[in-house]
Amino acid sequence: MERREFIKGLGASLVMLSSGVSTSALATDIKTNKKNLVWVMLRGALDPLHTVVPIKDDNLLTLRPTLAKSVMKSALALDNQFGLNPALTHLHKWYLDKQLLPIVAVSSGYESRSHFDGQDYLESGGNLNNLDSGWLARSLSGLSNSAISTSKYSKQTSSAIAIANSTPISLRGSNAVNTWYPANIKAADDDIYRQLNNLYQDDKSLLQNLTDGLALQDTAMIDDSKKTSRKFIELAKACGNFLVKSDDIDCAMLEMGGFDTHNNQHKRLLKQLTELDSGLAALKSSLGSQWDDTVVIVATEFGRTVKENGTQGTDHGTGSAMFIAGGQVKGGKVLGDWPGLQTEQLFKQRDLQPTTNSFSWIASILKQHWQLSDDAIAKVLPLHKPYSNQIMM
Amino acid sequence: MPEEFLDEPFTVSEAADFISTKNAISQNNAVIAVNRFGLGAKPNELTHAEKDPQAFLINQLVIPKFLPTQYSSDSIMQLLADYQKQKQRDRKAVETSTVGINIPIETANSMSIDTSMANSDATDNVKAAPLKPKNKPPFRKAFIELTTSSLQSAIDSPNSLNWRLLQFFSNHFSVTAQGPFMTGLAPTLEREAIAPNLLGSFEDMLLAVTAHPAMIKYLNNEKSFGANSKLGRRGKGLNENLAREILELHSLGVNSGYSQTDVIELAKGISGWSIANPKRDKQTGFMFRSNGHESGTRKLLGKQYPQSGIEQGQTMLVDIARHPQTAKHLCYKLAKHFIADKPSASLQNQLVKTWIRTNGNIKQVMITMISSTEAWQPIRQKFKTPTEFVISAYRAFDISVPKGRKMIQLLTELGQQPFKANSPAGFSDDEKDWNGANALMTKINWSVRLAERQRKQMAADLIVNTFGQTMTESSYKTITRAESRDQALALLLLSPEFLRR
Repeated sequence: MERREFIKGLGASLVMLSSGVSTSALATDIKTNKKNLVWVMLRGALDPLHTVVPIKDDNLLTLRPTLAKSVMKSALALDNQFGLNPALTHLHKWYLDKQLLPIVAVSSGYESRSHFDGQDYLESGGNLNNLDSGWLARSLSGLSNSAISTSKYSKQTSSAIAIANSTPISLRGSNAVNTWYPANIKAADDDIYRQLNNLYQDDKSLLQNLTDGLALQDTAMIDDSKKTSRKFIELAKACGNFLVKSDDIDCAMLEMGGFDTHNNQHKRLLKQLTELDSGLAALKSSLGSQWDDTVVIVATEFGRTVKENGTQGTDHGTGSAMFIAGGQVKGGKVLGDWPGLQTEQLFKQRDLQPTTNSFSWIASILKQHWQLSDDAIAKVLPLHKPYSNQIMM
Repeated sequence: MPEEFLDEPFTVSEAADFISTKNAISQNNAVIAVNRFGLGAKPNELTHAEKDPQAFLINQLVIPKFLPTQYSSDSIMQLLADYQKQKQRDRKAVETSTVGINIPIETANSMSIDTSMANSDATDNVKAAPLKPKNKPPFRKAFIELTTSSLQSAIDSPNSLNWRLLQFFSNHFSVTAQGPFMTGLAPTLEREAIAPNLLGSFEDMLLAVTAHPAMIKYLNNEKSFGANSKLGRRGKGLNENLAREILELHSLGVNSGYSQTDVIELAKGISGWSIANPKRDKQTGFMFRSNGHESGTRKLLGKQYPQSGIEQGQTMLVDIARHPQTAKHLCYKLAKHFIADKPSASLQNQLVKTWIRTNGNIKQVMITMISSTEAWQPIRQKFKTPTEFVISAYRAFDISVPKGRKMIQLLTELGQQPFKANSPAGFSDDEKDWNGANALMTKINWSVRLAERQRKQMAADLIVNTFGQTMTESSYKTITRAESRDQALALLLLSPEFLRR
């Protein structure tokens, strides 16, 4: 790759990103304790009952005459109660390999029905009054003091990358966050970088940003001149590349939209879930052996109505579904208590009743994967305590 | 490799071009005036500024004029009301013809309109539900029209200082285009409440903004009713959101000594400050709902407010606007915006003095800033925001913004989608938040593309138009000796001189 040659030409074979991130060929020599966390936000409110389908619950057919029919039979069986949407073939394989934990009837605790507030709530960690601080950013500060970061061979710093144009709320409030997003614009010829290198000789921060920017592009390893580069699968691939190639990035955030299925839900979710499934598979494959040191959390702002509406879709609801995946995740079972779908079992007689809290599951992951202390977790998510379920091997 | 050339001396004619023949100080100050205070020089602007850079700026302190548009906050609210009415009618029609089918009741929020979501276009690809009314209100269209016309006006204006000032206050009173309704409404705030009060007293601006539908809706005051009011007794409660942000962001500033009780007292004072429902209330715009106002005397920051009705909130807001902490907070922000991320205490003190002496007259405060020595330090201490960068590039090239949503897409990629700060605190005014690696790469790619379309322009001329003779010799050399004309133009846009101000 010519750009890489150029970066080397700058004497930047070990490139320090401005947040203290370094990309290095020697990474494997120092990295013994790297534990990656990938946070995937599905925006628009994913329908839980069409994703982790309660195939044995007879109420489903009554509540959703057309929607249930289209997935009841084709669902990929998980246990004797649930099946995955047929689009989630890779996730199903992970489940069989005991690397995936689906969670049913989960909620952040947000009980209204605005997408934006619901997302803000999930990203901030339950505090709509302060959207300048995200739970993931706070976890990152917790990580630098955790057992895995203070052990003998560990790195000095942790940092995060958001695959986005600007920092999402989840990662706000930390200065160890980079953003990266493929440009919608044809990449410039390499010669301009040489000229800019001259132009920035007396401006240290611009020079640093130029070097870092080239390193980021190089690390993402995707051709951002292609229109397809903004597809979730490409973003997920780039995300994996960042985690593998950069010494200090051990936290990443991906986003995917398009889940607000008020109509024509079956067809639309098939497309969306296929994209999600292949994206997560691409993430796993670009992570390579680091998959074993990675936990992926997939969540959405809230659920959808248990009844289908008049346009073969569903409206905003409450209880939702969530996924935890990773090489060392103690998977192969469905977590969360099933509340049932009888009218009296529903939340406000209309939505799936939440039985566990998303933030408590997140807290459990922070504790078991990133080894955050209870005190540190209390700073990240003051309103929630981790569950005692064993999530990691 | 260009390095080879660096040892070569200037040619005689280049050197002659480069050596100033005019009054160097006046020219330096002209460059500072158009770049630090304005939105960058248009062709010939420097020549005007050179005569008297300070007077050049002070003369720009006039009310900015917007291009005419069919959209206003009133028309946007009327459109929403018509749409809801039509939807209701359609639903009734269906309900009577089809028995037993549950028709979705969609709120305005459930319509997918948020372009910031990377993959949200999926919704658009799906055919609309058969029962949905065909004419969705053109909120997105209104947003694009209002936003691009505002940017275009800033690009065209010979008084770019007043547009900078407008952008400052628009960001100070940040509203986010979140959901279809706010998408239409957000860009009307700066036109209707901020611009008319831009050069007058800050208390007028605070009053106008707080009573504007965009702010009321964004910070949820439209349904904030006192617990003992008629509406409150029906179960509608107080919402502290707007009151809190007024104190924390719009006026006194965070940690300035107010308490949670003050927040609640102000919230009660402005309870009932609402928006009319065009259908039910037979009017549009701001509406004071006296049956939702908490009656009784309020106590804010130690002072009693015995007034009743809307007057109570107004009196409170005027006092808040005149509070010395508000003077400090706003003067700090102004100095930080125009001069340096860490403005000197001496500059802040001068501004605060004028603010207090003139009862928060924004024009007078700006004149004090323009007259200060801090304003004319040659060192460029501010890094342009993406919006300032793009506008100054278009001004330098003397070209129009692209039509439609392209301009908004560009600013989105640069990390500053208009009216999308997603926080009432607005966008950051710190270099560290804009001078990042990914942002630079996006700027490089964009500058190269723009330059390719502007090949007939001469980089050397643009340098003189924009920076006079003040560009450093090494920047000048690198730019004018680029391998092609368009590369030179791109390098000019990407030079430290152009990225900073």
